[in-house]
Amino acid sequence: MTVGAGRSRPGIGDYLLWSVIALFIIVPLGCFLAYGFFSVVDNAIVYRPTVGNFAELLSNPSYRATFLRTIRMAFEVSAINLVLGYATAYFIWLRPPGMRNFLVIALAIPLLMSYIIKIYAMRGVLGTNGLLNSALMALGIVDEPVSALLFNLTAVRITLSVVLLPFMVLPIYIALERIPASVLHAASDLGANELQTFTGIILPLSLPGGIVGAMFTFVLASGDFLAPELVGGIEGFTYGRLIFSQFGLAFNWPLGAALSILLMCVALGVIFVARRLGNPRWQR
Amino acid sequence: MRRLRLLDISLASVTTLVYLALYLPILLVFVLSFFSMRRGRVNWETFSLGWYAKLFDNEALGDALRNSLLVGGTAVAAAAVFATVAALHVNARPSSRSARILEYVIFLPFLLPPIITGLSLLIYFRETGIPRGIATIIVGHAVFVLAIIYRIVLTRLNVLSRSLVEAAHDLGASKFQTFRYIVLPNLRMPLLTAGILAFALSFDETMITLFLTGTDATLPVRLYAMMRVGFTPEINALITLILGFSIVLTVAVAFAWRRNAGLENNSATRI
Repeated sequence: MTVGAGRSRPGIGDYLLWSVIALFIIVPLGCFLAYGFFSVVDNAIVYRPTVGNFAELLSNPSYRATFLRTIRMAFEVSAINLVLGYATAYFIWLRPPGMRNFLVIALAIPLLMSYIIKIYAMRGVLGTNGLLNSALMALGIVDEPVSALLFNLTAVRITLSVVLLPFMVLPIYIALERIPASVLHAASDLGANELQTFTGIILPLSLPGGIVGAMFTFVLASGDFLAPELVGGIEGFTYGRLIFSQFGLAFNWPLGAALSILLMCVALGVIFVARRLGNPRWQR
Repeated sequence: MRRLRLLDISLASVTTLVYLALYLPILLVFVLSFFSMRRGRVNWETFSLGWYAKLFDNEALGDALRNSLLVGGTAVAAAAVFATVAALHVNARPSSRSARILEYVIFLPFLLPPIITGLSLLIYFRETGIPRGIATIIVGHAVFVLAIIYRIVLTRLNVLSRSLVEAAHDLGASKFQTFRYIVLPNLRMPLLTAGILAFALSFDETMITLFLTGTDATLPVRLYAMMRVGFTPEINALITLILGFSIVLTVAVAFAWRRNAGLENNSATRI
């Protein structure tokens, strides 16, 4: 239902709206895309189109290695979280309604907590004197504190995995919640056992939620630079940090923009694939 | 059946692990803001509010807090106005090309990795010669929260009874009067809900802000700088205070959302 006066001609408000959108969203994105094709000479930006940044990006082995390492890391985090998130969402879904609501709210609360605070808090868990080391020592698994838990890529993996978990559990839970009870009743009436119901109905109907969750996780993990910066140390150098560094000391904004364009293409590609997979033909 | 019991137990353990992972780190920070730690153990005899007292002497933090509140308030107010205009625009002609393009464009800053939104604006401000500062941060935050306010307002507009608006027209109300006396009162709750949510997002936003900040830092940016320098125990106290504020905002969002949903159900039955 529409509230406005139907098919009215665009008024001043609409022109104003579009100019604001153009001024603050479209033009900045355009500038960003254009910058990827500029270059820097003597700390000044040269506004002549070139594909030099992209050539350097592809030929420089350290950029390539950082890119591949980050993509793999983001993929691993998504895969681990898909397993953990699915198990958690499934467990929540099987609880009685009161318990279920409580668990869902408890999962949503961390989403509104400050991102860097959550990352910082993970330092206290992973550090040499941290919670995890104390636990490992108390359980007798290790005798001395393990220093390998912080300031490397594993720390980044663990931290991102923890911080991004709600983004995985919630979409899967919503997908599970949408499965009509009648379908499950029909399956049991037709004599399907629990395993058959799960593999034949529950899993295929809830997996699209998992794909959406994996998409969120991947996009957020691959572009992040705060977690690697705070818990990654030197070893946990990721693509996001590489981009960010171009805007600090390195002062090569065009290269930073080019690196980001590649990241954006990967993100858009993942979003596109997830939309196709997460919206299967029988649901379209 | 034994196999199923085993499955239940493993599901329960994974869930427990997930919730522990989400809450234990935060809890640890909370405890350490009052107690000190020795050899990986909390020393329960060292209760003190010293770190909190120290926070109040830190003038840079006071400035950062003021900046955060200023940025959040201004950005949310500006975004609310434009999100409402955008939602009215799309609602009036949902199938037009202009509406469909707008739907995509408005979500870009929210959906793209924040690093890209941040650096697009950074490059843009450099090219237009606008120095980095509070104003640029406000623009960044407004663009970032625009989508969420837009979505909530549009949802409300779409369920608003058309007959209400038509009745107003029939009774001779001008377009402005219809908006002022019919549409706007109906948008009060959704705007409040979206506003609090957007403020919470703005209050925590770090990545976009890091690109747009000049010498004036917001609270998360100041916090980030403190964390990078190293470990100072007063960070724990500061974090505890910020988390307390976040929880208050979360509860406020939940309440507003509930009332909002209640109103929506009411108007749905009225149609």
